[in-house]
Amino acid sequence: MMNVIGNLAWAVQGNARLIVDIAMFFGLLVIVAMAINFQYGNAGIPNMGCAVQVIAGGITVSAVTTRVTFWVVQTAGVELLPYATDFDWVYNNQVNISVLTNGYLKNNATLCIALLLFSLALCIVFGAVIGWIIAVPAIRLRATYLMVTLITMADASQIICRNTPWIGGGTLGMFVPNVFAFYPGDRTVIMAALTLFIGLVSFFIFKTMLNSPYGRLMRSIRENEVTVGSVGKNVVAIRGNILMFSSGITATAGCLLAFYYSFFVDANYQRAYWTYWPWLMLMMGGPGNNAGTFLGTVLVTALRRIIIVYKWVFDRMLFFPISYFERLLLGTLLIVVMIVRPNGLIPEKLLYIPGINYRQLVREQVPVDWRSAPKASKASGGGIMGRLRNKKES
Amino acid sequence: MLINALWMAAIVYACELTILSIGFTLTYLTAKIPNFAHGTYAGLGIFTSWIMDRVFNTSPYYGFPIAFVVGGLFSVMVYVLVVNTLTKMGGGAIVMTIGTLAIQIFLQAFLWIFSYWLRSITGLYTTGFLLKRTDFVLFDTPGIFYVALGTSIVSILVLHWMLTKTKTGIAMRATSEDTQLSAVLGINVNQIQTFAWFLTGGLAGLSGAMVPMWFASSAATAGGMQTSIMAGSLLGGFTNMYGAIIGGFSIGLLEILLTFQLQQTIGTWVGEYRPLVPMIVLVIVLIVEPNGLQGVYSRIMASETGDKILKALGRGD
Repeated sequence: MMNVIGNLAWAVQGNARLIVDIAMFFGLLVIVAMAINFQYGNAGIPNMGCAVQVIAGGITVSAVTTRVTFWVVQTAGVELLPYATDFDWVYNNQVNISVLTNGYLKNNATLCIALLLFSLALCIVFGAVIGWIIAVPAIRLRATYLMVTLITMADASQIICRNTPWIGGGTLGMFVPNVFAFYPGDRTVIMAALTLFIGLVSFFIFKTMLNSPYGRLMRSIRENEVTVGSVGKNVVAIRGNILMFSSGITATAGCLLAFYYSFFVDANYQRAYWTYWPWLMLMMGGPGNNAGTFLGTVLVTALRRIIIVYKWVFDRMLFFPISYFERLLLGTLLIVVMIVRPNGLIPEKLLYIPGINYRQLVREQVPVDWRSAPKASKASGGGIMGRLRNKKES
Repeated sequence: MLINALWMAAIVYACELTILSIGFTLTYLTAKIPNFAHGTYAGLGIFTSWIMDRVFNTSPYYGFPIAFVVGGLFSVMVYVLVVNTLTKMGGGAIVMTIGTLAIQIFLQAFLWIFSYWLRSITGLYTTGFLLKRTDFVLFDTPGIFYVALGTSIVSILVLHWMLTKTKTGIAMRATSEDTQLSAVLGINVNQIQTFAWFLTGGLAGLSGAMVPMWFASSAATAGGMQTSIMAGSLLGGFTNMYGAIIGGFSIGLLEILLTFQLQQTIGTWVGEYRPLVPMIVLVIVLIVEPNGLQGVYSRIMASETGDKILKALGRGD
């Protein structure tokens, strides 16, 4: 059976390859876009630094999973080249991973799956911790200050990652263990399926969260945080929790991306890619609405991947690299969408709470006892003047 | 040389950053949004200088007024097409800030494409250049040192005079305090806002024109200064022009001198982390005193020490 799937998958080329690619990136970006939607669309936290959490997910794989795998493989008796110093870590990385480690993982499906699950679990925890750390200076601040801080943090994370070889291989990047080494076919197909599955799971998690009392509390914070604070809710703590929770989910995208390429380099985790594009998807689809996020993500991802895959066609026609045109497109689209369709393609709908019969609620007639109701004077009408007239009459 | 090369670089950079921070703060005052594209405006100035030097073979200093006008006009375009439109549509602060981010991405890409276009028509190198060769030398010191210092001092003085003595400046301050009330008083708010955006964009263009005279520049240089600008403005209090002067200047000095000092004491590898310096300052300011130097100033003035200072100055009650 495995062989059949493997052979089928091996034939992924041409347009089928493009579809797998779009599916993979749709899965990754929809996780990030939904997390942003959860924060901005529902709780009003403009998280402009989600690249931090995505890169945190990638670092989990490159710095922790790789070392754990090395340790397991060495314990099993495979002789690895030295990797203790920064130089050895980068220089011997290719032989250590591609030949020695992946060769061992090929016959150990259980270990592979264990490593994958371990990485996912760890990156959620790590992402949440990063969310907590960035929340410390920023969460109490006004929205604009918060944005400034988060954007800065996204840049800082990339600078640190680029210049610290033992974390992510520095500017050269590094290979990470192939957790689907046991799968005989094309790894990317199974990765895309897994990513879409995780995207679906996170969709249901967010959906359930939104319809819970906590989700309604979030929406009330978005609408008016002063009122929520005045009824005794700790607004700062709730916003911190939301940032932590969605940071954990966002980090899975980074982790999956590292496994998809089987390679980690900081340039794959640029701020523009993992913050601005998901924001465009969110704004395009409509904030506060998961269906809109899905639609926006599909449209933008397809457009981008087609541009990237057919880059050589465009590059022949233009005098400049197409990647700059792509950014021009991003900027223009974002502005046009905000001006032409401020609510997105699918506007936000009212929250539907299961178990409440809305129709009955509307039809329901509240009986009022006229004897207990205050008596209105017929002659004098309402308002301040009316009341003054009432006083005179009495 | 009047001054050693390190201090010179630090002062030139600090002057450029001061002008940019003032512009950023003025935009925040008038439009109530942090303009993330402000640093990138300087890229227009950088390329004006490049064109003056490489295409017209003259000193880039002649291009400074052009850089001011180009930066200003782009800024006005941004205001009219994006910010004003979004305001009319009822977009809040967050939507407008995302709008400025979109402009930043757009302008950055435009500058790259423009630099490739210049390369394709002139055959000259446009990604990573220095325009030192036409600079004059006075007392063994490159002219940009005097020009940068002079330009920043003059622009600060002109701005101070304008904001306190002229009708337009006072109207600008009134508009930034309360837009609706100033409209009621007969101020043409839209005109004043357009002027404010022209001024800030122009200052950014002017500052950008000075950058390639001493620092290696490319289309990405200006955008890379954004964090330092924000740190400078935040250190000054975000809503105070005079704070931005001190903030921008100190961040500029700190960024170069501290990095150099750390490279001397710890090791050359610290140089890679130079962009982290303004970021660390930004985070520290936010944790310690989110209102920056202005917050510290008002706190001191509200305390007994403030009364003593005022009495010593002869202004106490």
